[in-house]
Order: sequence, then C-alpha cells, then structure tokens
Amino acid sequence: MVDQKKLRDEAKKIISRDDVKYVIGWEKGTYGFQMTPLFATSEDDIDRLVFNPLCIHNLAVFPMLEEKLPLQKGSFEENEKIGIILKGCDSRAIVQIIQEKGLEKEKLIIIGVPCRGIIDYKKINKRFPHQTKNAVVEEDDKNFIINTNGKTQKIPKDELIMDKCKTCEFPNPVIYDVLIGDEIKTSKKPDYKKITSLENKKLDEKWSYWESQFEKCIRCYACRNVCPLCYCKECMVDQLNPQWVRRSVNVSENTAWNIMRAFHLAGRCIDCGECERVCPVGIPLSDLNKKLEKDVMELFNYKAGTDVKEKPLLSMFKPDDAEDFII
Amino acid sequence: MDELVIKKNKIKDFIDKLSKDYNIFAPVKVDNIYLFKKIKSFSEIDQDFVNSKIPPKNILFKQTETMFKFNMGVDAKVEPVTPGDQKNIIFGIRPCDAKSISILDNVFEDDYLDPYFINRRKNTIFIGLSCINPDINCFCTSMDASPASSEDVDILFTEIGDRYFIEIKTEKGKELIRKIKNLLQESTSSDKKKKKDIEKKSIDAITRNMNTRDISEKLEKIFDHNLWKNISKKCLGCGICTYLCPTCHCFDIQDETTLGNGARVRVWDTCMNPEYTIHASGHNPRPARMNRTRNRVYHKFNYFPKNYDVIACVGCGRCINDCPVNIDIINIIDQAREVK
Repeated sequence: MVDQKKLRDEAKKIISRDDVKYVIGWEKGTYGFQMTPLFATSEDDIDRLVFNPLCIHNLAVFPMLEEKLPLQKGSFEENEKIGIILKGCDSRAIVQIIQEKGLEKEKLIIIGVPCRGIIDYKKINKRFPHQTKNAVVEEDDKNFIINTNGKTQKIPKDELIMDKCKTCEFPNPVIYDVLIGDEIKTSKKPDYKKITSLENKKLDEKWSYWESQFEKCIRCYACRNVCPLCYCKECMVDQLNPQWVRRSVNVSENTAWNIMRAFHLAGRCIDCGECERVCPVGIPLSDLNKKLEKDVMELFNYKAGTDVKEKPLLSMFKPDDAEDFII
Repeated sequence: MDELVIKKNKIKDFIDKLSKDYNIFAPVKVDNIYLFKKIKSFSEIDQDFVNSKIPPKNILFKQTETMFKFNMGVDAKVEPVTPGDQKNIIFGIRPCDAKSISILDNVFEDDYLDPYFINRRKNTIFIGLSCINPDINCFCTSMDASPASSEDVDILFTEIGDRYFIEIKTEKGKELIRKIKNLLQESTSSDKKKKKDIEKKSIDAITRNMNTRDISEKLEKIFDHNLWKNISKKCLGCGICTYLCPTCHCFDIQDETTLGNGARVRVWDTCMNPEYTIHASGHNPRPARMNRTRNRVYHKFNYFPKNYDVIACVGCGRCINDCPVNIDIINIIDQAREVK
C-alpha cells in the first residue's frame, strides 16, 4: 500500500510551487465505496488526498479536458503547470499523448504510484449492497481489508479486482517525476483468451452479438469524454458538415460511432478500461479495443504508450511493415 | 372498488390477457441492466429490478422521433409520420418515474402542445409498482414523494406477501380493472395495513436526503459564485446525468438525408454538450463546462420551479449512481446551501 503521508508530502511540495495551479489526485467520494477526483489548489486541500485500491479514475484525462476559452481583453494565457498522480496504466496514456505532441511533458509534474490492482466498483457493490456510509479500504499482499460501518473484513483480491488488473503488465508508472514507494515486480502477461474466442465465432454470431450490444448505446459519449486519448478538438461525431454519424440513435448509427471510435484508438489505446467502466448500459468496449491492440501487436509488434521517445504507430513507417491487408 | 388485491400467481393471466389489447412495456433484464421494453409475455418481466437504467420517459418522449419523411427533386413530397393511436400500458413504473411524467406535462403541454408526448400519454395507462427495496442513492422522500406513492399513476401495485395490493386512482385505471375483474379480489383492512407497513419500511430504508427548502431563492443569489467552477473541474461533460434523468427533456431537430430522400428527426440533446448552445455565428453563450454544469442544477432547482412551481428532480438517484466522477446532486445542493 502506498504511504499516504509520503504521497501528501510530495503533493504539498508541488502545490507550494508558484508555477503550479493544482494537483490532481483522489479524495473520498460522497457515499459508499466511491472515490472522486480531487483538484487541490492549497496545502489544506492536500490533506484530503488519498490513494487506495478504490482510486479507479484515470486522471490523465483532466489535462486534456482543460478548456482554452477565448481570452478577454487584457488577460494572458496562463502557463501554469499541473501536478498529477498516475498509476501504471494511466501513465501510459500520458506517454502516448506526449508522443503524439498532444501535451508537453513540461506542463506536468507527475507523482507516480505503483499499483497492485484496483477494485471493480461493480463487484464490490454487489458484495456490499446498500453501503451508503463511506467505507475504508486498505490492502495487504493478497487481500483487501474492507471496513464498513465499523466492521472489518478481509477479502481475497482476486474476488474484487478489475479484470484488466489481473493481466496488468505495467503496475509501475512508465513516466514520473517522483515515485512513491518501491516498484512492484510482476510477471503478468496480457491475456487475449476472450478476444480469441470472439474472433472464432461465426460472422453472423459476431454480428448479432455486437448488434445486441450497440443497440443499447444511448450515445451519451461518456466513453469518449472519459478517454484521455479522445482529445480531438472537434470529434468526428460532432461534425455537421459533413455529418459522418447521424444524430439518430439506432443500431446502424450506434455501430458506426462505436466502430469508428475503436479504430481511432488503434495503436493508441493503453487499455485503462475507463470507457467500459463508465458506459451506463454496459457495452463491453474493452473487447473492441483489445482486439485492435492484439492486431497491432501481431502486425507491427507495437505497444502504445510505453516510451516517450518512440513515435506513434500510425505516424511511422518501416520497410518490413506488414502490408498483406492492403488491397 | 378503489382497493383490491390480486394473488401473485394470477399476475401472469393479468398481463397475458391485457397484452391482447395493449402494448405492454415492463422492466426486462438486458445483460446486467434493466430496461423498459415491449413484452410479449409475462415471463419476460424481471421482478427483481430496483429501477430501470434508462427512465421510462423514453416510451413517451422517444430518444429518436421521426417527425416526417420527404423526398427531393421534381417529385418532392412530404410524408407525415403520425404518433399512432396504439394503446400502451407501462407496467412496473416506479412512483418517482411516474412523478417525472407529471413534471414533463408542464413542458409538453405548455404554450406549444407536443403531439408526440401528449398523444402517447393519453393512450398510456400507468401501472405503478411500489419500491420495497430502494436503491442506495434514492431520495424521493426529500422531493415530497414516497416509494409507495400512488399520486401520479393510474393504478398502483404493492407487493404484500403472496399478493399485490392494488389502488385504483383514475377513471382510466377503473376502466382497465373492469376488463380483468375476475382475476381480482376485494381487499381487507389487513391488506391495507400491510401496504402501510411496507411503505413505512421502504421510507425508512432510504438513507440519503436533500434539503430543498428555499433552494430556488438561494440559487438566485449565488449564480456567479466560485462553487460552480470548482464543481465543474472534474466534470467530463458526458451526457449520462441528462440522458438518464427522468425529467430532462431537451432535444435537437435535424434533417437527415441520403441521396434523394430523408427524414426530419427529433433526438435527445444534452446541455452538457458544447454544441447544445452554440450559435450560427460561432458564439457560444455557455462556453465552459462550468456554465453547463451550473445550467443543469439551475434548470432543475431554479428555472423550473420559477416557471412551473415544481422542482424538476424526483430523487431517483440515477445521475448519482452513474456519474463516472461522483458528481453528486445532493452534495451540490448541500454545498450551495452552505455558501454565505
């Protein structure tokens, strides 16, 4: 478990700098097991900062959501830095964005936190239904130690952890300015069993499966907005002239939207799983992304967001690149 | 005959009999969520539901409504699409969602009469189902309502042991009940007491509450407060809170065409979307997420009360349950009250 005092001390150091506007971390949410993003602007705010196995949000999205509004007369563009706390998976998003020149590293001061796996809200809420009061969750090597209404329980991690964490190769941030605690060793490897079984289905089975999923889509675009890599100034789905995707909500347009988004993330998605987590109607979006991740790996031996010096997959060319899919 | 009972084993006959004359919409489990769907037989209904993910407003106010079709060129023609006169029953609507329909009446039956909503409303019978197991973020009791309120439905069912206690509230309800009278029995005073007990138990199970006293007046004074900026920092700007809200009712109208023909469609829109307010000139009066987050709160707790004398929130808790970053409307109102 990450040392909370050390984390707060580092965050305080950062927030006390004159060139930093806020530090983004997590704080206790409003009920049950919820945590919520914290934008700390003072040392007092940092006292609310925590990192625990419930800190699921990928905070890398927030620097990308910063709005650049038209400047009023006499005002200047602010050039202050952002402090941000990143887990392993989240940090890969930042690396990918830096590679794409979507953000300059100088804009961020990164506190890295090694992560032993995050709790799936759906799983824990099922286990503890009607938990309104804030719960406290800690961890040891094998268990989550969960304190609800004064009672403490130990639950094996495997029962509550996010599926993505079970096969996580990157428990340590790949980019940071300060790391809290020691790096974690892991031998976990990505697992494409579910993807392979989807691939092996017959065409009409695949079609009816995805049709039944996309039929549920209400086009709230939470998948896009929570995604740190969906940072286009104008999303293709918002464009009116030409209109790539119609506003009508039906299987056809919903399919167009979800497939187009998945393709726009090919070689870029770092599998933080946020899109799938936030989807209110439970579309298994990670499966689409993982399929493309697998293809990219097989075709180009490329993994997104691992090295700032690397070029983005789709903006480079190697003479021996696979090309047998080109008609 | 305003209060009756039906044995649970008769419900199947009840639904199957009515499904001959009506489209029946009821809560159905789809993967891991509940949605109101048109059902063909009773067996499709999942009675374990707490509430549907998407509120049943979408039966009256569809997410995509085709207003008319047209083709272009020399033989240009407009082909009207009428809402239809199909009779509907919404079975299992929760009291909070039923209240939202009454709130929406204010909008769709205002200066302009919306034929789609009004027509469907007229042709729909609402059979409510009392909550016996309120969800973690339910707070209907803070909004002058109850998990077993029969205020906004035609008929209310409440589960009492091996039977349902039935309250018939409207003429529409009475007419429907006449058709299936042979399945029902007179209620006893003990049935009525059981309903009261269940209602009380259910009210006690609601743990969250929102203090709305004078909230409209309070908001009037703090429009420019920094609070809104702070709250909106973590907002992602997605449409979950508005699309899942039973009282949100904004829409966009567009002509969608292919080569020679097309249709004018009305689709749900969300004030969280920057495009929602953008002018043809490019100017956007709500340029920042702060303006948009604030608008959602003001529309529900200030503008709507000023226009229609009712808060446009029913306490269903959907926006709290599904917000990806835990923006919590109860917490926002608490914070607003604390502003000096």
